[in-house]
Amino acid sequence: MAGTDPRPRPVREAVVWDPLLRVFHWSLAFFVILGWCLGQFGPAKMTLHFWCGYVVAGLLIFRLVWGFIGPPEARFAQFLRGPGAVSGYLRGVLMREPSYWPGHNPLGALSVIAMLAVLAAQVTSGLISDPDDYINVGPLASYVAPATRSKAVGWHEFGANLVLVLVLLHVAVILFYRFWKREDLVRPMLTGRKRVRDR
Amino acid sequence: MRQILTAATFAALCVFHPIGASADEATEQAIEARHGFYNMLAINMATLAGMAKGDIAYDEAAASRAAANIEALTHYDLPSLFIAGTASNEAEDSAAKPDIWNNMDDFRTKFGGLVEAATGASEAVKGGQDKVGPVVGKLGAACKACHDSYREKS
Repeated sequence: MAGTDPRPRPVREAVVWDPLLRVFHWSLAFFVILGWCLGQFGPAKMTLHFWCGYVVAGLLIFRLVWGFIGPPEARFAQFLRGPGAVSGYLRGVLMREPSYWPGHNPLGALSVIAMLAVLAAQVTSGLISDPDDYINVGPLASYVAPATRSKAVGWHEFGANLVLVLVLLHVAVILFYRFWKREDLVRPMLTGRKRVRDR
Repeated sequence: MRQILTAATFAALCVFHPIGASADEATEQAIEARHGFYNMLAINMATLAGMAKGDIAYDEAAASRAAANIEALTHYDLPSLFIAGTASNEAEDSAAKPDIWNNMDDFRTKFGGLVEAATGASEAVKGGQDKVGPVVGKLGAACKACHDSYREKS
């Protein structure tokens, strides 16, 4: 008779983020922020910025693979849900209580995909960029048309703004959960453990 | 008589005052000259950058000549070619951001950066392949500084 039980299920502590996923998350944060700052304020010779890009590319490939073979909470098939689930989650999002959601919630899943897609596009445009300064040229620039190499520099600049918006949104939502919903999402990403309610 | 006078006046106007044509010609010429300048810069930069990377075998005379060409080019007052009507939103085939005209002093300072980077380059690249890299680094940084602010990327 569990289906008719009106009481909410109990909240319990569970492992939601596996160790590799946590290392991936904090490495991605570190190298994206470092790369962004180097691109914006770093030395004219952008060797370190390039290396940040290569590391981010590697991390994205790991995440893609992990999304298929990793533990359930990391799998795309597990956390990507339809519009119905998203709007269902949205209905309760402003409530002043923790979500106790195990893993990525249906709305957060969209932000995961947006972040991964924008970063993948950002890495790609960087790889094919040639800003015509003879000291920085993307390693794959010679494989695309000259007009594309030059346009890619513009896409990369635009992409940097998108990355900034997504990162700020990410941090803002974390703060919203922390102070409005009274749910700490940072600690689980450090320890892997989170208070969840089964659904 | 009146018709003749009118016709003569009109004819004279056409001959002595080709409406619009002169302004168009001047802007076209300035943009072409800019592109010529950058092409010459590019040819010599490619030589130096190629030697710095090791794609082209180091040749002291060739390196010094390329660097001297760049030095000579920077003695031309490039910003004077950025005349009114030649911004990317005013002329086809221009990658010059309109911002240049709002910040002409800064634009000139950026070009001054290239002049400074090029000064003494023909001597600085002499004495071995390892001498080329730092010169290319300085010149490239000057290219980048200006491109970042004033070059259209689409």
